[in-house]
Amino acid sequence: MHLAPDQTNLLQGTLDMMILKSLALAEMHGLGISMRIEQITQGTFQVKPGSLFPALHRMEEEGWPVSHWGESENNRRAKFYRVTNAGRHQLEAETNRWSRIALAITRTLEAL
Amino acid sequence: MNFPRFASLLRNLLHKQGEERELDEEVRAHEQLLVDENIQAGMNPQEARRQARLELGGVEQVKEQVREIRAGHLLETLFQDVRYAARMMRRSPAFTITAVLTLALGIGANTAVFSVVNAVLLRPLPYPDSDRLVQLWSTNPNTDHWGMWTAYPRFEDWRRQNTVFEEIATTRTWVINIEGSDHPESLLGVITSSQLLELLRVRPILGRGFLPEEDQPGHDHVILLSYGLWQRRFGSDPAVVGRTVNVGQENYGVIGVMPADFRFPPDLRASYRVDAWLPPAPDPSRDERVSNNYYTFARLKPGVTLAQAQAEMDAVSHGLAEKYDADRGLGVKVVSWQRQVGSEVRPALLILLGAISLVLLIACANVANLLLARGAVRQREAALRQALGAGHGRLIRQFMTESMLLAVCGGVAGLLLAYEGLHLFIRLAPDIPRLNETTMDPRVLIFSAALTLAAGLIFGVAPALQRLGTDSQGSLKESGHRFTSGATRARARNVLVVAEMALALMLLAGAGLLVRSFVRVQQVDPGFNAKNVLTAFVMLPPSKYPEPRRQAQFFYKVMERIASLPGVECAGAADSAPMLTNDTGPVSIEGHPVAPDEEKIETERPKITPDYFRAMGIPLLRGRTFTWADNEGSLAVAIINEAAARQYWPSEDAMGKRVKLEDGSAPVWRQIVGIVGDVREDGLIKAGRPEVYAPLLQAPVPYMALIVRTRTQPAALTAAVRQAVMAVDKDQPLFQVETMQQVVDDSVAGRRFQMALLAVFAALALGLAAIGIYGLISYTVNQRTHEIGIRMALGAKREDVLHLVVRHGMMLAIAGVVVGTVGALLLTRFLSGMLYGVGVNDPTTLLSVATLLIGVAALASYIPARRATRVDPMVALRYE
Repeated sequence: MHLAPDQTNLLQGTLDMMILKSLALAEMHGLGISMRIEQITQGTFQVKPGSLFPALHRMEEEGWPVSHWGESENNRRAKFYRVTNAGRHQLEAETNRWSRIALAITRTLEAL
Repeated sequence: MNFPRFASLLRNLLHKQGEERELDEEVRAHEQLLVDENIQAGMNPQEARRQARLELGGVEQVKEQVREIRAGHLLETLFQDVRYAARMMRRSPAFTITAVLTLALGIGANTAVFSVVNAVLLRPLPYPDSDRLVQLWSTNPNTDHWGMWTAYPRFEDWRRQNTVFEEIATTRTWVINIEGSDHPESLLGVITSSQLLELLRVRPILGRGFLPEEDQPGHDHVILLSYGLWQRRFGSDPAVVGRTVNVGQENYGVIGVMPADFRFPPDLRASYRVDAWLPPAPDPSRDERVSNNYYTFARLKPGVTLAQAQAEMDAVSHGLAEKYDADRGLGVKVVSWQRQVGSEVRPALLILLGAISLVLLIACANVANLLLARGAVRQREAALRQALGAGHGRLIRQFMTESMLLAVCGGVAGLLLAYEGLHLFIRLAPDIPRLNETTMDPRVLIFSAALTLAAGLIFGVAPALQRLGTDSQGSLKESGHRFTSGATRARARNVLVVAEMALALMLLAGAGLLVRSFVRVQQVDPGFNAKNVLTAFVMLPPSKYPEPRRQAQFFYKVMERIASLPGVECAGAADSAPMLTNDTGPVSIEGHPVAPDEEKIETERPKITPDYFRAMGIPLLRGRTFTWADNEGSLAVAIINEAAARQYWPSEDAMGKRVKLEDGSAPVWRQIVGIVGDVREDGLIKAGRPEVYAPLLQAPVPYMALIVRTRTQPAALTAAVRQAVMAVDKDQPLFQVETMQQVVDDSVAGRRFQMALLAVFAALALGLAAIGIYGLISYTVNQRTHEIGIRMALGAKREDVLHLVVRHGMMLAIAGVVVGTVGALLLTRFLSGMLYGVGVNDPTTLLSVATLLIGVAALASYIPARRATRVDPMVALRYE
């Protein structure tokens, strides 16, 4: 199954969460983020640039990640994103929210 | 908004170029990284680049998506859209000028009419806390005829017995003669009880207001001056307070000067000016309970409602009816003063406002049609922008911005137009109370701003919606201007034109009905001959002429002098004359006693000089007119009009019967010696009322209208008539000198103005609708050049083409006429109060305006149709 997280509320929050989670370990550039997400979800989520960049810029305006220009592993110029404290709080909040939803859905499914 | 977001808003707005460059770099760097990845995965460079592009899905689209989520994006695109819209407007000046002018006319005319509605109907009366001001009418519940004024003694009872009013006052306009210098002057004054200024919450700028006891009999005479009179006659002398002025041979102490902007009464005709306020001492009728001459109003105590006041006044008048004969059957009606002031002109003004808003709707439909036509041409532009990353929402926003910019330009131009046009409007308008208060105040500005936005929305919606249905691929593939205009769009344009036609027809029908009514009114025989008649008033002060005999002698001498002036054919005078003045009062008919609980017979009772009928041109039908020999020593006589004969002696011959004018002072039975024709009153539409005439020498009055029939231009005799009066008494001025023709014209001025205005609006509507249908047909002909060429190549004749094109226009016009007729049938009933001699659904009017509309539509479609017949089939076919 391939999902392209888009503008629906649930999935938008989810995309934010996944991006912040990816950035929690190390700073990354855009392609790194999308590859990381694809890798950890084993290809379930493929984040295309058309979703990734609007999400990154929106989150940057909220002050969750900050960005700077740097060099990629193969010496290309690229823009790197690093999560801030506010971003960590947001990740925590998103994670809690998601856990509650996941739990609720699981229970619903088990009950049926 | 939190801080980082606000900071980025600033950054986005201020450092846009830097942000843009960085975004571009970032997306391109991303693309490069993708290429690197693909090469590492083993693709050749060419394939790697291709795959990267596919993955990215378009650099511009990604960038646009990022831009759209940015803070300040809306603001920024708004600036962009406005700049773009302004560029588009500059690029097609013909379109822009047409649209802006159309809107300016519509919005400007609406603003002007609304300014008047605002001043006359909406704005509070010019006194503090005016929402608590009420007016008190005397009513007669038996006859359901309310709106009588009241008598001074009754007002005094109301004042004593009520507990609901903070203040209550009663007033009457009064002509006063100021004497004692070289030029005597007649002024309009207001007689008032003492609480007037407290009630209005207005203070004099000099001196003081009235003391409570100053409206009681036997008190010193005092007077308040208007600012204008103070300037004019007293040279703005600050020491004027305490001086005395000679009013009607008596000394009045000046107690104060009112502010320059003080207006009272507020509903006086705009051209009148009140110059003095004084207590009721000079009014001989102030003690008469039957003389309903006073206009009463009050200020409700805080918290007292209109209904509570009404209930209490009901109880008060019930008590008075028990006590006084004259109060029997009378009630009181308490109404909001604000509403009362505009009540006469309210229907007419609201109809005009409704009519002009229909004109604006037509203007909007026209602009919408222009935009739709342009929208078709701009389809490729829209498709191109879509391909470059603009979303549907963004494009609709862009088109709405263009519409709004057009509307705003139209609104601003309209405001200027209204500002200029308002002076003209006020100058041409008849005397409407408070009309001179008309200004473009904030409420008017808000109104036209709202109107502008509404107009922009109305005409912008169609072209914006048209965006929704477009498919960028399809439009781009089509070759230039040859794409077919979609069926939806064609239908929208047809519907708009039909709507315009229908609205125009409704306005034409309304205007047509008013025009026909006006023609009918002009044809009415007023019962008198207004041509070559000069009129003027003389009012003898009771202090100088206390005896009725001397009053009569004065007018006798004046009549003699005027009649002998060169150029005068004859001269008469009356204290009650059509359209000039009236004196209504009770009469008794011999042999027809009125039961105690029955209403008394009230009728016009003019006192006249012998030549009055000749001077006025009222025909004597039977018997004789009065002569100077009908004096106090001879038989008491009367002359009645036909209406009185019909009404009071329906089955008998009135000649020789007797009537009595119930005047208080020993009325006598008068024998009827003549019958004259009826005269028409205000606006010519009121049918003749019963009238009982008495000779001046037998019933003297101090106040008369002089009626001078001249051989030449009546106005030229003004000075001679004035001198004739002053030769009899040098202190007696003339006032309100007018020709009778002016008086008659004034009495239909309101009707004429409304007719003219509605006719102008209807003409405007017709013009706009004609432009609308012309535009649509021209556009269609252009679109169908190719098709017409093919038809002609296949043998169609010019007439066939003409027929084809004109038929389209005719179908629209006929559809419009059908819809419009239904609308007109529904709407014209609001005009019923203003019509005379025609029904609201007058078929002649409807038929003629429908014919007119179809004729104009035919002409408007014929012009482009002729152009279509000149299409050269070869050129049209090669056009591909």
